Amino acid sequence: MSADVSDLSLVRRVQGGDKGAFDALVRKYQHKLVKLVMRYVRNPAEAEDIAQEAFIKAYRALPQFRGDSAFYTWLYRIAINTAKNAVVSRDRSPIEYNIDRSSDAAEESYDMQGRMKDSETPEGLVLTDEIRRTVNAAIEALPEDLKTAIVLRELDGLSYEEIAAAMDCPVGTVRSRIFRAREAIDRRLREVFEGGLGRTEDLG
Amino acid sequence: MNEELDSQLSAMFDNELPAAECELLARRLSRDEELKGRWSRYAAIGATIRAEGGVRLNTNLAVRVNTAISSEPAVVVTKSVEIVREQPRRAMPRWLMPLSSVALAASVAAGAILFLRYESPTQVASQPAPATSGSQTLVANTAASPAAPDSYVVPKTLPRRSVVPSTQLANYVVAHSEFSSPVNRRNLLSAFMASESGTAGAPSGSDEPNEDVTDDAKTAH
Repeated sequence: MSADVSDLSLVRRVQGGDKGAFDALVRKYQHKLVKLVMRYVRNPAEAEDIAQEAFIKAYRALPQFRGDSAFYTWLYRIAINTAKNAVVSRDRSPIEYNIDRSSDAAEESYDMQGRMKDSETPEGLVLTDEIRRTVNAAIEALPEDLKTAIVLRELDGLSYEEIAAAMDCPVGTVRSRIFRAREAIDRRLREVFEGGLGRTEDLG
Repeated sequence: MNEELDSQLSAMFDNELPAAECELLARRLSRDEELKGRWSRYAAIGATIRAEGGVRLNTNLAVRVNTAISSEPAVVVTKSVEIVREQPRRAMPRWLMPLSSVALAASVAAGAILFLRYESPTQVASQPAPATSGSQTLVANTAASPAAPDSYVVPKTLPRRSVVPSTQLANYVVAHSEFSSPVNRRNLLSAFMASESGTAGAPSGSDEPNEDVTDDAKTAH
Protein backbone atom coordinates (compact mmCIF):
# COMPACT_ATOMS: atom_id res chain seq x y z
CA MET A 1 0.00 0.00 0.00
CA SER A 2 1.23 3.47 -0.81
CA ALA A 3 2.59 5.22 2.25
CA ASP A 4 0.92 8.49 1.35
CA VAL A 5 -2.41 7.40 -0.10
CA SER A 6 -4.71 9.12 2.39
CA ASP A 7 -2.71 12.34 2.42
CA LEU A 8 -2.78 12.30 -1.34
CA SER A 9 -6.53 11.90 -1.43
CA LEU A 10 -6.85 14.96 0.82
CA VAL A 11 -4.35 16.88 -1.30
CA ARG A 12 -6.33 16.09 -4.44
CA ARG A 13 -9.44 17.43 -2.78
CA VAL A 14 -7.64 20.65 -1.87
CA GLN A 15 -6.41 20.91 -5.44
CA GLY A 16 -10.02 20.61 -6.49
CA GLY A 17 -10.92 23.64 -4.37
CA ASP A 18 -11.89 21.95 -1.08
CA LYS A 19 -10.35 24.01 1.73
CA GLY A 20 -11.83 21.70 4.36
CA ALA A 21 -9.48 18.96 3.21
CA PHE A 22 -6.51 21.22 3.85
CA ASP A 23 -7.84 21.82 7.36
CA ALA A 24 -7.66 18.06 7.93
CA LEU A 25 -4.04 18.03 6.78
CA VAL A 26 -3.21 20.91 9.13
CA ARG A 27 -4.86 19.15 12.07
CA LYS A 28 -2.94 16.00 11.34
CA TYR A 29 0.51 17.56 11.02
CA GLN A 30 0.37 20.65 13.21
CA HIS A 31 2.09 19.06 16.22
CA LYS A 32 4.79 17.44 14.11
CA LEU A 33 5.47 20.69 12.30
CA VAL A 34 5.67 22.80 15.46
CA LYS A 35 8.01 20.24 16.97
CA LEU A 36 10.14 20.39 13.83
CA VAL A 37 10.32 24.19 13.84
CA MET A 38 11.29 24.15 17.51
CA ARG A 39 14.67 22.81 16.43
CA TYR A 40 15.30 26.33 15.14
CA VAL A 41 13.38 28.46 17.63
CA ARG A 42 12.94 27.59 21.26
CA ASN A 43 9.86 29.62 21.79
CA PRO A 44 6.65 27.57 21.27
CA ALA A 45 4.61 30.60 20.27
CA GLU A 46 7.17 31.65 17.68
CA ALA A 47 7.36 28.07 16.45
CA GLU A 48 3.60 28.10 15.96
CA ASP A 49 3.82 31.35 14.01
CA ILE A 50 6.44 29.86 11.72
CA ALA A 51 4.44 26.66 11.35
CA GLN A 52 1.40 28.73 10.45
CA GLU A 53 3.41 30.56 7.79
CA ALA A 54 4.69 27.25 6.47
CA PHE A 55 1.16 25.87 6.20
CA ILE A 56 0.00 28.95 4.32
CA LYS A 57 2.97 28.71 1.96
CA ALA A 58 2.17 25.06 1.40
CA TYR A 59 -1.44 25.90 0.63
CA ARG A 60 -0.38 28.47 -1.95
CA ALA A 61 2.13 26.05 -3.48
CA LEU A 62 -0.25 23.10 -3.64
CA PRO A 63 -1.08 23.59 -7.33
CA GLN A 64 2.56 22.72 -8.04
CA PHE A 65 2.49 19.61 -5.83
CA ARG A 66 2.46 16.57 -8.11
CA GLY A 67 2.71 13.84 -5.52
CA ASP A 68 6.21 12.80 -6.54
CA SER A 69 7.14 12.77 -2.85
CA ALA A 70 5.05 12.21 0.25
CA PHE A 71 3.01 15.22 1.29
CA TYR A 72 4.68 15.44 4.69
CA THR A 73 8.15 15.29 3.10
CA TRP A 74 7.16 18.21 0.90
CA LEU A 75 5.64 20.08 3.84
CA TYR A 76 8.72 19.30 5.93
CA ARG A 77 10.98 21.04 3.40
CA ILE A 78 8.75 24.11 3.29
CA ALA A 79 8.74 24.31 7.10
CA ILE A 80 12.53 23.95 7.33
CA ASN A 81 13.07 26.73 4.78
CA THR A 82 10.52 28.96 6.48
CA ALA A 83 12.15 28.42 9.86
CA LYS A 84 15.63 29.14 8.53
CA ASN A 85 14.45 32.33 6.85
CA ALA A 86 12.68 33.38 10.03
CA VAL A 87 15.82 32.88 12.08
CA VAL A 88 17.92 34.84 9.58
CA SER A 89 15.47 37.73 9.42
CA ARG A 90 15.19 37.76 13.21
CA ASP A 91 18.97 37.90 13.55
CA ARG A 92 19.12 40.82 11.11
CA SER A 93 16.46 42.80 12.96
CA PRO A 94 17.67 45.60 15.22
CA ILE A 95 18.54 44.46 18.72
CA GLU A 96 17.06 46.42 21.56
CA TYR A 97 19.68 46.89 24.24
CA ASN A 98 18.61 47.43 27.80
CA ILE A 99 21.58 48.70 29.78
CA ASP A 100 19.68 48.49 33.01
CA ARG A 101 19.42 44.73 32.84
CA SER A 102 21.93 41.94 32.70
CA SER A 103 22.06 39.69 29.62
CA ASP A 104 20.36 36.86 31.48
CA ALA A 105 17.53 39.10 32.52
CA ALA A 106 17.15 40.36 28.93
CA GLU A 107 16.98 36.78 27.61
CA GLU A 108 14.40 35.89 30.20
CA SER A 109 12.41 38.96 29.26
CA TYR A 110 12.55 37.93 25.60
CA ASP A 111 11.30 34.46 26.43
CA MET A 112 8.44 35.82 28.49
CA GLN A 113 7.46 38.21 25.70
CA GLY A 114 7.51 35.31 23.28
CA ARG A 115 5.35 33.16 25.50
CA MET A 116 2.86 35.92 26.08
CA LYS A 117 2.79 36.96 22.44
CA ASP A 118 0.31 34.23 21.67
CA SER A 119 -2.74 33.31 23.65
CA GLU A 120 -0.66 31.25 26.03
CA THR A 121 -2.86 31.52 29.07
CA PRO A 122 -2.35 29.65 32.32
CA GLU A 123 -5.55 27.79 31.51
CA GLY A 124 -4.04 26.71 28.21
CA LEU A 125 -0.92 25.40 29.87
CA VAL A 126 -3.04 23.48 32.37
CA LEU A 127 -5.08 21.99 29.54
CA THR A 128 -1.96 20.77 27.73
CA ASP A 129 -0.73 19.14 30.92
CA GLU A 130 -4.16 17.62 31.53
CA ILE A 131 -4.26 16.18 28.02
CA ARG A 132 -0.84 14.62 28.50
CA ARG A 133 -1.74 13.11 31.82
CA THR A 134 -5.01 11.74 30.53
CA VAL A 135 -3.46 10.19 27.42
CA ASN A 136 -0.61 8.65 29.36
CA ALA A 137 -2.99 7.23 31.98
CA ALA A 138 -5.26 5.84 29.26
CA ILE A 139 -2.30 4.17 27.55
CA GLU A 140 -1.19 2.60 30.82
CA ALA A 141 -4.70 1.21 31.31
CA LEU A 142 -4.75 -0.42 27.87
CA PRO A 143 -4.49 -4.20 27.44
CA GLU A 144 -0.94 -5.13 26.52
CA ASP A 145 -1.65 -6.01 22.87
CA LEU A 146 -3.43 -2.69 22.24
CA LYS A 147 -0.71 -0.73 24.01
CA THR A 148 2.04 -2.45 22.03
CA ALA A 149 0.23 -1.86 18.74
CA ILE A 150 -0.39 1.87 19.29
CA VAL A 151 3.13 2.48 20.62
CA LEU A 152 4.75 0.65 17.72
CA ARG A 153 2.67 2.76 15.38
CA GLU A 154 2.97 6.21 16.98
CA LEU A 155 6.33 6.03 18.67
CA ASP A 156 8.29 3.79 16.32
CA GLY A 157 6.40 4.75 13.17
CA LEU A 158 6.02 1.17 11.96
CA SER A 159 3.56 0.31 9.21
CA TYR A 160 0.68 -2.07 9.88
CA GLU A 161 2.53 -4.79 8.00
CA GLU A 162 5.64 -4.33 10.11
CA ILE A 163 3.60 -4.35 13.29
CA ALA A 164 1.83 -7.50 12.13
CA ALA A 165 5.20 -9.16 11.62
CA ALA A 166 6.45 -7.97 14.99
CA MET A 167 3.31 -9.10 16.84
CA ASP A 168 2.84 -12.22 14.73
CA CYS A 169 -0.76 -11.48 13.79
CA PRO A 170 -2.70 -10.50 10.65
CA VAL A 171 -2.67 -6.93 9.40
CA GLY A 172 -6.40 -6.70 9.98
CA THR A 173 -5.86 -7.48 13.65
CA VAL A 174 -3.28 -4.70 13.87
CA ARG A 175 -5.70 -2.25 12.33
CA SER A 176 -8.37 -3.30 14.83
CA ARG A 177 -6.03 -3.09 17.82
CA ILE A 178 -4.80 0.38 16.91
CA PHE A 179 -8.34 1.58 16.36
CA ARG A 180 -9.52 0.16 19.71
CA ALA A 181 -6.53 1.71 21.49
CA ARG A 182 -7.29 5.10 19.99
CA GLU A 183 -10.96 4.80 20.86
CA ALA A 184 -10.17 3.95 24.48
CA ILE A 185 -7.80 6.91 24.80
CA ASP A 186 -10.15 9.24 22.94
CA ARG A 187 -13.04 8.32 25.25
CA ARG A 188 -11.01 9.46 28.25
CA LEU A 189 -9.88 12.54 26.39
CA ARG A 190 -13.43 13.59 25.58
CA GLU A 191 -14.40 13.22 29.22
CA VAL A 192 -11.68 15.68 30.13
CA PHE A 193 -12.92 18.27 27.72
CA GLU A 194 -16.63 17.79 28.24
CA GLY A 195 -16.60 17.31 31.98
CA GLY A 196 -13.66 19.45 32.95
CA LEU A 197 -12.40 22.27 30.87
CA GLY A 198 -15.04 21.82 28.19
CA ARG A 199 -12.95 23.11 25.31
CA THR A 200 -13.04 20.37 22.78
CA GLU A 201 -12.86 22.93 20.00
CA ASP A 202 -9.36 23.89 21.17
CA LEU A 203 -8.08 20.63 19.79
CA GLY A 204 -9.09 21.73 16.36
CA MET B 1 -20.78 7.26 15.42
CA ASN B 2 -20.44 4.32 13.12
CA GLU B 3 -17.67 2.07 14.43
CA GLU B 4 -16.67 0.95 10.95
CA LEU B 5 -16.34 4.58 9.91
CA ASP B 6 -14.15 5.32 12.94
CA SER B 7 -12.03 2.29 12.16
CA GLN B 8 -11.58 3.58 8.63
CA LEU B 9 -10.67 7.00 9.98
CA SER B 10 -8.03 5.47 12.23
CA ALA B 11 -6.53 3.53 9.31
CA MET B 12 -6.67 6.61 7.11
CA PHE B 13 -4.84 8.61 9.74
CA ASP B 14 -2.04 6.05 9.49
CA ASN B 15 -2.06 6.09 5.68
CA GLU B 16 -3.16 2.46 5.77
CA LEU B 17 -6.57 2.73 4.13
CA PRO B 18 -7.08 1.55 0.53
CA ALA B 19 -7.16 4.40 -1.97
CA ALA B 20 -10.78 3.87 -2.99
CA GLU B 21 -11.97 4.12 0.62
CA CYS B 22 -9.71 7.13 1.17
CA GLU B 23 -11.43 9.05 -1.59
CA LEU B 24 -14.83 8.64 0.01
CA LEU B 25 -13.65 9.28 3.55
CA ALA B 26 -11.59 12.33 2.56
CA ARG B 27 -14.72 13.89 1.12
CA ARG B 28 -16.62 13.26 4.33
CA LEU B 29 -13.73 14.33 6.56
CA SER B 30 -13.41 17.69 4.88
CA ARG B 31 -17.07 18.49 5.78
CA ASP B 32 -17.84 16.62 8.98
CA GLU B 33 -16.77 18.64 12.04
CA GLU B 34 -17.27 15.73 14.43
CA LEU B 35 -15.01 13.57 12.31
CA LYS B 36 -12.47 16.38 12.18
CA GLY B 37 -12.53 16.66 15.98
CA ARG B 38 -11.80 12.95 16.30
CA TRP B 39 -9.07 13.29 13.68
CA SER B 40 -7.51 16.13 15.72
CA ARG B 41 -7.57 14.09 18.90
CA TYR B 42 -5.86 11.20 17.10
CA ALA B 43 -3.11 13.68 16.25
CA ALA B 44 -2.91 14.85 19.87
CA ILE B 45 -2.70 11.24 21.09
CA GLY B 46 0.20 10.60 18.71
CA ALA B 47 1.99 13.76 19.82
CA THR B 48 1.61 12.74 23.46
CA ILE B 49 2.93 9.22 22.86
CA ARG B 50 5.92 10.68 21.03
CA ALA B 51 6.41 12.97 24.02
CA GLU B 52 6.66 16.03 21.84
CA GLY B 53 7.62 18.33 24.65
CA GLY B 54 6.95 22.02 24.30
CA VAL B 55 4.19 21.42 21.75
CA ARG B 56 0.85 22.72 22.89
CA LEU B 57 -1.76 20.03 22.45
CA ASN B 58 -4.58 22.52 22.76
CA THR B 59 -3.15 24.73 20.06
CA ASN B 60 -5.43 26.80 17.90
CA LEU B 61 -2.98 26.65 15.04
CA ALA B 62 -5.44 24.91 12.73
CA VAL B 63 -8.03 27.61 13.40
CA ARG B 64 -5.50 30.32 12.63
CA VAL B 65 -4.42 28.65 9.39
CA ASN B 66 -8.04 28.10 8.44
CA THR B 67 -8.81 31.76 9.05
CA ALA B 68 -5.77 32.85 7.04
CA ILE B 69 -6.57 30.74 4.00
CA SER B 70 -10.25 31.60 4.07
CA SER B 71 -9.33 34.88 2.42
CA GLU B 72 -7.17 33.10 -0.11
CA PRO B 73 -8.61 31.99 -3.42
CA ALA B 74 -9.42 28.31 -3.53
CA VAL B 75 -6.67 26.18 -5.01
CA VAL B 76 -7.88 24.78 -8.26
CA VAL B 77 -5.56 22.78 -10.42
CA THR B 78 -6.97 23.39 -13.86
CA LYS B 79 -7.57 20.46 -16.10
CA SER B 80 -5.71 22.26 -18.84
CA VAL B 81 -2.44 21.37 -17.14
CA GLU B 82 -3.25 17.70 -17.32
CA ILE B 83 -4.60 18.02 -20.81
CA VAL B 84 -1.45 19.76 -21.95
CA ARG B 85 0.55 16.92 -20.49
CA GLU B 86 -1.64 14.35 -22.19
CA GLN B 87 -1.83 16.01 -25.58
CA PRO B 88 1.42 14.61 -26.97
CA ARG B 89 0.24 11.10 -26.21
CA ARG B 90 -3.16 11.66 -27.81
CA ALA B 91 -1.93 13.49 -30.89
CA MET B 92 -2.39 10.31 -32.95
CA PRO B 93 -5.80 8.60 -32.97
CA ARG B 94 -5.78 5.19 -31.39
CA TRP B 95 -6.99 3.49 -34.57
CA LEU B 96 -4.04 4.94 -36.45
CA MET B 97 -1.45 3.37 -34.20
CA PRO B 98 -1.47 -0.12 -35.88
CA LEU B 99 -1.18 1.57 -39.25
CA SER B 100 1.79 3.52 -38.05
CA SER B 101 3.41 0.26 -36.98
CA VAL B 102 2.77 -1.20 -40.42
CA ALA B 103 4.16 1.94 -42.04
CA LEU B 104 7.25 1.71 -39.90
CA ALA B 105 7.76 -1.95 -40.79
CA ALA B 106 7.23 -1.16 -44.47
CA SER B 107 9.71 1.68 -44.40
CA VAL B 108 12.29 -0.57 -42.76
CA ALA B 109 11.69 -3.24 -45.38
CA ALA B 110 11.93 -0.69 -48.18
CA GLY B 111 15.13 0.63 -46.70
CA ALA B 112 16.55 -2.85 -46.56
CA ILE B 113 15.63 -3.53 -50.20
CA LEU B 114 17.13 -0.24 -51.33
CA PHE B 115 20.24 -1.01 -49.34
CA LEU B 116 20.60 -4.42 -50.95
CA ARG B 117 19.97 -3.05 -54.42
CA TYR B 118 22.53 -0.40 -53.76
CA GLU B 119 25.02 -2.92 -52.47
CA SER B 120 24.71 -5.29 -55.43
CA PRO B 121 25.63 -2.67 -58.07
CA THR B 122 28.43 -1.63 -55.82
CA GLN B 123 29.80 -5.10 -55.95
CA VAL B 124 29.49 -5.09 -59.70
CA ALA B 125 30.87 -1.59 -59.79
CA SER B 126 33.79 -2.79 -57.81
CA GLN B 127 34.73 -4.67 -60.93
CA PRO B 128 34.60 -1.84 -63.42
CA ALA B 129 37.75 -2.83 -65.19
CA PRO B 130 36.37 -5.77 -67.14
CA ALA B 131 33.26 -3.94 -68.24
CA THR B 132 35.16 -0.87 -69.26
CA SER B 133 37.85 -2.90 -70.87
CA GLY B 134 35.24 -4.96 -72.57
CA SER B 135 33.58 -1.96 -74.10
CA GLN B 136 36.93 -0.56 -75.03
CA THR B 137 37.71 -3.87 -76.55
CA LEU B 138 34.60 -3.78 -78.61
CA VAL B 139 35.33 -0.26 -79.70
CA ALA B 140 38.88 -1.15 -80.45
CA ASN B 141 37.73 -4.19 -82.25
CA THR B 142 35.25 -2.15 -84.22
CA ALA B 143 37.79 0.49 -84.98
CA ALA B 144 40.27 -2.07 -86.11
CA SER B 145 39.69 -3.67 -89.37
CA PRO B 146 38.77 -7.35 -89.48
CA ALA B 147 42.02 -7.78 -91.17
CA ALA B 148 43.90 -6.93 -88.10
CA PRO B 149 42.77 -9.43 -85.45
CA ASP B 150 46.04 -9.09 -83.58
CA SER B 151 44.80 -5.85 -82.15
CA TYR B 152 42.16 -7.68 -80.24
CA VAL B 153 42.95 -7.14 -76.63
CA VAL B 154 41.85 -9.71 -74.18
CA PRO B 155 41.04 -7.91 -70.92
CA LYS B 156 42.73 -9.12 -67.85
CA THR B 157 40.46 -10.94 -65.52
CA LEU B 158 40.42 -9.15 -62.23
CA PRO B 159 39.68 -11.00 -59.06
CA ARG B 160 35.97 -11.04 -58.38
CA ARG B 161 34.34 -11.27 -55.07
CA SER B 162 30.98 -12.65 -56.02
CA VAL B 163 31.78 -15.17 -58.69
CA VAL B 164 30.55 -18.26 -56.91
CA PRO B 165 26.86 -17.36 -56.74
CA SER B 166 26.85 -16.19 -60.34
CA THR B 167 28.18 -19.55 -61.47
CA GLN B 168 25.23 -21.29 -59.94
CA LEU B 169 22.94 -18.69 -61.39
CA ALA B 170 24.56 -19.09 -64.78
CA ASN B 171 24.07 -22.83 -64.67
CA TYR B 172 20.45 -22.29 -63.85
CA VAL B 173 19.94 -19.79 -66.64
CA VAL B 174 21.73 -21.99 -69.13
CA ALA B 175 19.67 -24.96 -68.14
CA HIS B 176 16.56 -22.87 -68.35
CA SER B 177 17.47 -21.49 -71.71
CA GLU B 178 17.38 -24.98 -73.16
CA PHE B 179 13.67 -25.00 -72.59
CA SER B 180 12.92 -21.37 -73.20
CA SER B 181 11.86 -19.87 -76.47
CA PRO B 182 14.54 -18.84 -78.92
CA VAL B 183 13.62 -15.21 -78.58
CA ASN B 184 14.20 -15.27 -74.88
CA ARG B 185 17.27 -17.36 -75.34
CA ARG B 186 18.88 -14.78 -77.48
CA ASN B 187 18.84 -11.96 -75.12
CA LEU B 188 21.83 -10.28 -73.69
CA LEU B 189 21.46 -11.70 -70.25
CA SER B 190 21.44 -15.25 -71.50
CA ALA B 191 24.51 -14.53 -73.47
CA PHE B 192 26.25 -13.04 -70.49
CA MET B 193 25.26 -15.92 -68.30
CA ALA B 194 26.36 -18.39 -70.92
CA SER B 195 29.75 -16.75 -71.07
CA GLU B 196 29.89 -16.82 -67.29
CA SER B 197 29.10 -20.50 -67.30
CA GLY B 198 31.76 -21.06 -69.84
CA THR B 199 34.44 -19.35 -67.79
CA ALA B 200 33.29 -20.98 -64.62
CA GLY B 201 33.61 -24.41 -66.05
CA ALA B 202 30.01 -25.14 -66.76
CA PRO B 203 29.26 -28.33 -68.52
CA SER B 204 29.76 -27.85 -72.19
CA GLY B 205 27.26 -30.43 -73.22
CA SER B 206 25.18 -27.81 -74.91
CA ASP B 207 26.31 -25.54 -77.62
CA GLU B 208 23.63 -22.99 -77.12
CA PRO B 209 25.67 -20.62 -74.93
CA ASN B 210 28.38 -20.56 -77.52
CA GLU B 211 25.80 -19.87 -80.11
CA ASP B 212 24.52 -16.98 -78.06
CA VAL B 213 27.97 -15.59 -77.64
CA THR B 214 28.42 -15.76 -81.38
CA ASP B 215 25.16 -14.01 -81.97
CA ASP B 216 25.98 -11.32 -79.41
CA ALA B 217 29.34 -10.83 -80.98
CA LYS B 218 27.68 -10.41 -84.30
CA THR B 219 25.33 -7.93 -82.80
CA ALA B 220 28.22 -6.02 -81.30
CA HIS B 221 29.82 -5.93 -84.64
